[in-house]
Amino acid sequence: MSLVLPGEHVPAQHVNLKLGPGLLQQSSPGGESSIIATRAGELNHSANRARWWVESNARRYVPAPQESVIGVVIARSGENWRVDIGAAHMANLDGLAFEGATKRNRPNLKVGSLLYARVSLAHKDMEPELECFDAQTRKAEGFGEVKGGFVVHCSLKMCRQLLDPKHFLLPMLGSRFPFDAATGLNGRVWVNAKEAKHIIAVSRCIEAVDPDGGGMSEAEMKKFLGTLDI
Amino acid sequence: MSSRVEILNDGGYRSDGRRQYELRDIDIDLSQQGTADGCCTITHGLTQVLVTVFGPKEAKMRSQTLHDRAVINVEMNVLPFSTGERRRRARADRRILELAATIKSTFEPVVQTTLYPRSQIDIFVQVLQQDGGLLHACINATTLALISAGIPMTDFVCAVSGGVHSTSPLLDLTTLEENDLPHMTVAVMPRTGKVTLVALETRLHVDRFADIFRLAGDAGQALHKEMKRAVKSRATRLVGAMETGMKPPMGGADAFERDVVMEDKMSF
Amino acid sequence: MHKRAPAFCSAARPGASGFCTRCLFRRARMPRPASPSIPEKEFLYSSLKQSLRLDGRNLLEMRAPTLTFGPELGWVECALGKTRVIAQVDAKMVKPPPERPLEGIISIHSELSPMASSEYDSGRPSDEEVTITRMLDKVLRRSDVVDKESLCVLAGQRVWHLRLTIHCLADAGNMLDCACLAGVVALRHFRRPEVEVVGDEVTIHHPSERAPVPLSMHHTPYCLTFAYFPETSILPVLDPSHLEETLSAGLLSIALNAQRELCVVQKAGGVPLAPDEILRIVGIAVDKAKELDKTVEERLKEDWAGRTVEVR
Repeated sequence: MSLVLPGEHVPAQHVNLKLGPGLLQQSSPGGESSIIATRAGELNHSANRARWWVESNARRYVPAPQESVIGVVIARSGENWRVDIGAAHMANLDGLAFEGATKRNRPNLKVGSLLYARVSLAHKDMEPELECFDAQTRKAEGFGEVKGGFVVHCSLKMCRQLLDPKHFLLPMLGSRFPFDAATGLNGRVWVNAKEAKHIIAVSRCIEAVDPDGGGMSEAEMKKFLGTLDI
Repeated sequence: MSSRVEILNDGGYRSDGRRQYELRDIDIDLSQQGTADGCCTITHGLTQVLVTVFGPKEAKMRSQTLHDRAVINVEMNVLPFSTGERRRRARADRRILELAATIKSTFEPVVQTTLYPRSQIDIFVQVLQQDGGLLHACINATTLALISAGIPMTDFVCAVSGGVHSTSPLLDLTTLEENDLPHMTVAVMPRTGKVTLVALETRLHVDRFADIFRLAGDAGQALHKEMKRAVKSRATRLVGAMETGMKPPMGGADAFERDVVMEDKMSF
Repeated sequence: MHKRAPAFCSAARPGASGFCTRCLFRRARMPRPASPSIPEKEFLYSSLKQSLRLDGRNLLEMRAPTLTFGPELGWVECALGKTRVIAQVDAKMVKPPPERPLEGIISIHSELSPMASSEYDSGRPSDEEVTITRMLDKVLRRSDVVDKESLCVLAGQRVWHLRLTIHCLADAGNMLDCACLAGVVALRHFRRPEVEVVGDEVTIHHPSERAPVPLSMHHTPYCLTFAYFPETSILPVLDPSHLEETLSAGLLSIALNAQRELCVVQKAGGVPLAPDEILRIVGIAVDKAKELDKTVEERLKEDWAGRTVEVR
């Protein structure tokens, strides 16, 4: 609701206060603690004022546990795979971290394959680790290698918006032609459709609506769609 | 700038006595030098280039390797006494780096690098004498050195330089001619006739470009014949030497040592 | 081999692209940038086969260049889509080298820092950097864009030394064309101070006293780069984007002016092309150069009309 800059004091008070990204608790020498913002962006809080966070945009992904990401296999190290998820370090994916994988029955990945995976471990001192199954059910649930299609690079805020069911873009495109999309929180979106021109259209729309690349509104997007060849 | 020496006189002769479309004398030497896997010294008139090839071998730095192909590294060294006046060039002189990069990208699609993943092929080019036509001499020498090293290639790469003097095209220019005329280097793959390298650095009208371009392509084919002859002759001698070595020795079963002295140098 | 070797040749200056001549050993290079994933590669090839490009352009359509002129003359920012380059020209009077007393000096300094792309190292120049720097040199200096003899003020004593600096800000594909365009437009835009020579005395007039003079240029070259791909069924594309450049099998760069004169043709390796194909591409380049020339002229005129040069 309000714009904050790094260093500004935030009036967040609650018994069970949870601080999200962009906020830091600092204790002054007097013994009292204060909450300050560390990023520039919009200050948001939940309805019961227990959770506070700063909504900002970035292009570089910082891994956090239980987030779904799209990665590219870079190399093989023993039984594990090194995957590039666009973060500061390459992530590690165990060769057996797939649904129904045993020592004799492993998925056959190649260098350059695209994966939709979940970050299982993300500490600032260690390399992030990935898994290709859901945490609770231990079933694939859409994770694993994705074949075909194309990857669109966008900002992190765009990915969060695409995952929001109330955002206009994906349903608007879905009403024109059928397509598959897998959104990774690391700034990558995988798109697949029957025709190449549809994939190109989705890619261009995502780039147009991206806050970094202009941030088109719904009305402008309707006009833009009219100019594309679908 | 008026030239004191005539490039092409009325009788159709150039400053070094050649005719318009005549290439300079070619001398190809495929004899082995040191421990190199492949080696070739080519002389076009007064331009002499020595190329040695090492590889495919283990890459020095693992980070430089590609997981599915071999990496080709080209290093070029122009010796200070190669030109008329002695001039020492820094190792990282831009022009030399560019020539090395050009040679590397010319041979990357021709050499079958997919047969040797995670290894490297080193090509060392030494320019011994320069009298024009440096790039095309380097490319021809590299082709022959790679063939002599036994590295599989899809085809030869034959290069020649061409220029135009008012409206008459000339082939295989010397330094004197290069300084005065717009010129270009063209490298072709003779089996298909396709062009793999074009380098033009001086201003030239589009129509003249088309003329020299086609002419240089044909000249490349002619050069291919000479190169093939040199390689065939060396291969024949090698095979002959191997057969000699395999014949049962005359003095009984003891004498297995055979020193076969071969005369590899070809001159035309 | 240099046809002429001016004293301040960009090749001889140490640090022209961050290379230290004292450390002649090879510095450890940065690890290679990750190559695109398999789906991206396959999708690019399959859509190019259908003549579709990822940003919706035609195969032979160039991104429209956006030229922004700075407040001072000779400063221009050229943007081709997201690729941005800044070029700036400035001039000072120097004593000419003894072997060429009647010509001015032009030096080109190009900065390809990691700001443009993480692929550009600040250590030893990589292959791509060397190619771009050398092409800039060939297109802007060796092809005689500026008349050097007009830069001579007093023979043997005073000549103009023009310094063209090119900063590559962002690389979204085809940095070379953008840099050449920025450089040549900056040279066209620049005005040098008027000088008056009386006997052996040289007076440089400040721009507010006498209107500065444009450079006398022989011609205006434009560089056009075509990328072609391993499959021969895919036609070459003009002005490749970053992904197209990475996945291309070779680049053909043609620098020419609007008078049908070729300045530089550079096809270094890559997939071999039939001679007719190359001549066809040269024909396309001739038409595109004419279009570019018109756009640049209009833009220069527009900017010049918007400036008021005060003359006392």
